[in-house]
Amino acid sequence: MSSPQQNPSNQSVADGPVLRPHEYDGIQEFDQKLPNWWLFTLYSAIIFAFGYWFYYFQSNIPVSDRDAISAMVQAKEAKELESLKEINDETLWKMSRNPQFVEAGRAVFMGTCKACHGENLEGGIGFNLADDAWVHGSKPSQIFHNALNGIPDTGMAAQGGAQLGTQKIIQAVAFILSKHDPQHMRDIPREQEPTLKK
Amino acid sequence: MSAHKVTVEYDDKTVRYFFLAAVIWGAVALAAGVLIALQMAWWPANLGLPWTTFGRLRPLHTNAAIFAFVGNMMFTGIYYSMQRLLKTRTASDFLSKVHFWGWQLIIVCAAITLPLGLTRGKEYAELIWPINIMVAVIWIVFGANMFWTIARRREKSLYVAIWFYIATVITVAMLYVVNHLSLPTSLLHSYPIFSGVQDALVQWWYGHNAVAFFLTTPILGIMYYYMPKACGRPVYSYRLSIIHFWALIFVYIWAGPHHLLNTALPAWVQGLGMIFSLVLWAPSWGGMLNGLLTLRGAWDKLRTDPVLKFFAAGVTFYGMATFEGPLLSIRSVNAIGHYTDWIIGHVHGGTLGWNGLMAAGMFYWLAPRLWGKPLRSVNAANIHFWLSFVGILLYVGSMWASGIGQALSLNELTPDGNAAANSFIETVKAIKPMLFTRFLGGALYLVGFILMIWNLWATIRAGAPTTTTIEVVDEDKPQTPSRFPAFLNAPVLYTVGVLFFCIVWILASVSNSSLGGVFVIIGLIGTGALTLGAIAHFEVAGKTWAEWYDKLLEHSLAFSLLSLLAVVIGGAVQIIPVVAQSDPKSLGPYLEGRLQKVYTPLELAGREIYVREGCYTCHSQMIRTLVPEVLRYGAKSDQGYSRLGESIYDHPFQWGSKRTGPDLAREGTVAGRGNDWHAQHLFDPRLLEPESIMPAYPWLFKQNFDKSVLYARINALRLLGVPFAQMSPAEIETRYDTQAKEIAESIKKDYPLITPDKDIIALIAYLQQLGHYEKTEDVKKSREEETRHLDLP
Repeated sequence: MSSPQQNPSNQSVADGPVLRPHEYDGIQEFDQKLPNWWLFTLYSAIIFAFGYWFYYFQSNIPVSDRDAISAMVQAKEAKELESLKEINDETLWKMSRNPQFVEAGRAVFMGTCKACHGENLEGGIGFNLADDAWVHGSKPSQIFHNALNGIPDTGMAAQGGAQLGTQKIIQAVAFILSKHDPQHMRDIPREQEPTLKK
Repeated sequence: MSAHKVTVEYDDKTVRYFFLAAVIWGAVALAAGVLIALQMAWWPANLGLPWTTFGRLRPLHTNAAIFAFVGNMMFTGIYYSMQRLLKTRTASDFLSKVHFWGWQLIIVCAAITLPLGLTRGKEYAELIWPINIMVAVIWIVFGANMFWTIARRREKSLYVAIWFYIATVITVAMLYVVNHLSLPTSLLHSYPIFSGVQDALVQWWYGHNAVAFFLTTPILGIMYYYMPKACGRPVYSYRLSIIHFWALIFVYIWAGPHHLLNTALPAWVQGLGMIFSLVLWAPSWGGMLNGLLTLRGAWDKLRTDPVLKFFAAGVTFYGMATFEGPLLSIRSVNAIGHYTDWIIGHVHGGTLGWNGLMAAGMFYWLAPRLWGKPLRSVNAANIHFWLSFVGILLYVGSMWASGIGQALSLNELTPDGNAAANSFIETVKAIKPMLFTRFLGGALYLVGFILMIWNLWATIRAGAPTTTTIEVVDEDKPQTPSRFPAFLNAPVLYTVGVLFFCIVWILASVSNSSLGGVFVIIGLIGTGALTLGAIAHFEVAGKTWAEWYDKLLEHSLAFSLLSLLAVVIGGAVQIIPVVAQSDPKSLGPYLEGRLQKVYTPLELAGREIYVREGCYTCHSQMIRTLVPEVLRYGAKSDQGYSRLGESIYDHPFQWGSKRTGPDLAREGTVAGRGNDWHAQHLFDPRLLEPESIMPAYPWLFKQNFDKSVLYARINALRLLGVPFAQMSPAEIETRYDTQAKEIAESIKKDYPLITPDKDIIALIAYLQQLGHYEKTEDVKKSREEETRHLDLP
């Protein structure tokens, strides 16, 4: 930015690099003009910044992420409620006799449930799922409900929203049921089911 | 006017001290980094001891790298170049000594307290409050010494390196003080005065600008001195220096919120963070260009001179990191990069690449000059270069692969789009090879550094400390022209005016006031009119503007004040409105309808343990406004993404910056795991998840929590605005014990010997509390109830 008079050796920036006269501990400075492509990135970023701000915070056109997600969550909840209507004891028993369902369920079980309920459903942190004691109910729909929503104040985590989604839970329940005989399970007398101790 | 010759002897002893400290602490910081990288790849390296687990050593690594290594390196570079650029000895040898020994004392204190788990729980701001005060005092000593030296200079005009040093001193002081404002509860413990979103915003205003003004501006200053010195060429462009300096320091300050994109931070602040980060690209590259293009005409020297090799590569890494930064600040890109290893790779591109290589180049250049012998081995320096280079590439490459891969895998949905497709642990399993590659890269870098230490040591052993003197003509000070024209003139007034109207527009467009529209128009018209006016004026009188800047460079005070103005604005515009609007007492719209539940004494104790163990170094507590994230961590209408009010009472906030493990924002609600699960998992995570890489925390089952500290802590938090009920120490203890007994009972099956006083009990209570909140409408109703009761006679 020096005037040409101060730099007698150089006429102007356009003709070549201007060497500034001052020297700092032997260091000198050219006064090259700013590269055009560099100025272009600077100016475009500034123009983009104005445009972006105008669009998102002035124009009222875009839907905010928060609103979009809330709408998504509500739609999903509605859809789940809808699909739950079709899940009952009979359909779950049917699924438990379907090899494809059971195989998919085995994968889900080994991934998520095994840690607490054991590889052979023998229990651990969680209850044994292979025997006839069903503390929280022996109906397939009850088992499904417990897997989906968890059991408060116990180690049983809600597998619904957090990790798996309804589809995978249905498969896991089908896998568990595949280890049981429908008739036998229906015949477990209700009063033999121990009540849950708080 | 009379003139007489004087001999000036530079103080290079201080430089040598800082030089040695930088080299030694550099090795310590890198070694700590390699160790924690190994812990990630192979969990037994946590050694099963409290003070060697990742959560405590990671803060040690970051603090050592930033403050001990780069800090001492920066002081080395500044003390050497400042004296020569100002043609005067440092003003006070005493202050230099206090600065040096004070800084080393701080580092030693940090190295003791951090492994002990004494921490403020905020990244790069972990040190406890007495050390904070030491840092502030020593920084002021450094600043005083520098400004005093500047005042005694024999060089009328300030060189660009000095501009960067001035900006560094001023801005770091401002950032450090504000982000460390704390209320002490004991000699070793304090709470940050900000909470929740306020603390998050202040923290990343600081955190990002620690990168900007501790790791970048001083090193740019160093580049402007050592690069032209080493290659013997003039700096490429003076006017580029001017533009990129002012743009850099002004814009950087606004960019902090890009660390909080898609979180509960109000959207408009996120927007500012993103667009200013994009604008920052060009100013950053201005620095890179001025560095690299200074080498024009000297490129051939790169083949023979390791110093230039290090500088050229360092500046190139700077360019790469400052391109990647703006890229990662785009909200949609950030949705992938944030919380993953990509960020870790990005940061190390900057630290290992830019800081580390610039430091090495400077050491190799300085050692022969400070000890008067040529470098012992140029070959060894070349090997060091290639070890570093390959190390960085392995490091950054593996982190890119790991970060992007894990993010894509975590964001994948089941075919029906209703749930996350992969469990968290599956994605961890997939990145294990990358974590190991990163360890190898870091180890190579460390080997190179050790080779450098040998090389420097051999050089120093062969030589002896040198003294440098110069003959200068000391003129009696001519009358200083008035300061006012130096900073009250057309360009400054235009800039301030345009900024003022821009800020009016920004704030008006996000305000709820009915006058907002009017101010938007005023802001826009003012911005446009002044911009056009400035352009027109420049066309007519541009020449004098250039002369004005030359004059400004002769007024260090005016220059410093303008720098201060440039770095104050961004933070003020973002922080003040957010702090004012997010006050939980107001129950305003910023809280998004939810208000965090106040902790019980036991839960608070658990939170102290969570902070102490550095859980935040691997776990976030922030579900972002992203579909896959909401699906993974709770997709019901009472769950969803984290609302601002859900963490508003947290001093410090614990949103985290990295998810080596899953998010914990809803650990006590959606996740719904039992106390026994948490107990087993913390005792040894591999009991429940064989592939887990989390350290085991057996000592939590042995140590008792000291309940006596809670009274002071609860009182302090109440003073800061958290509505804890008034409790006597006895009441606190009773409540603590009652809740603790319940939890101890619930894990009795597996852990019959664990008494209620153990750390683990409190930590479980805290984890089970995460995610609990009240609806603000309910709170409002109950408060109205209360006041109605009070009104009754």
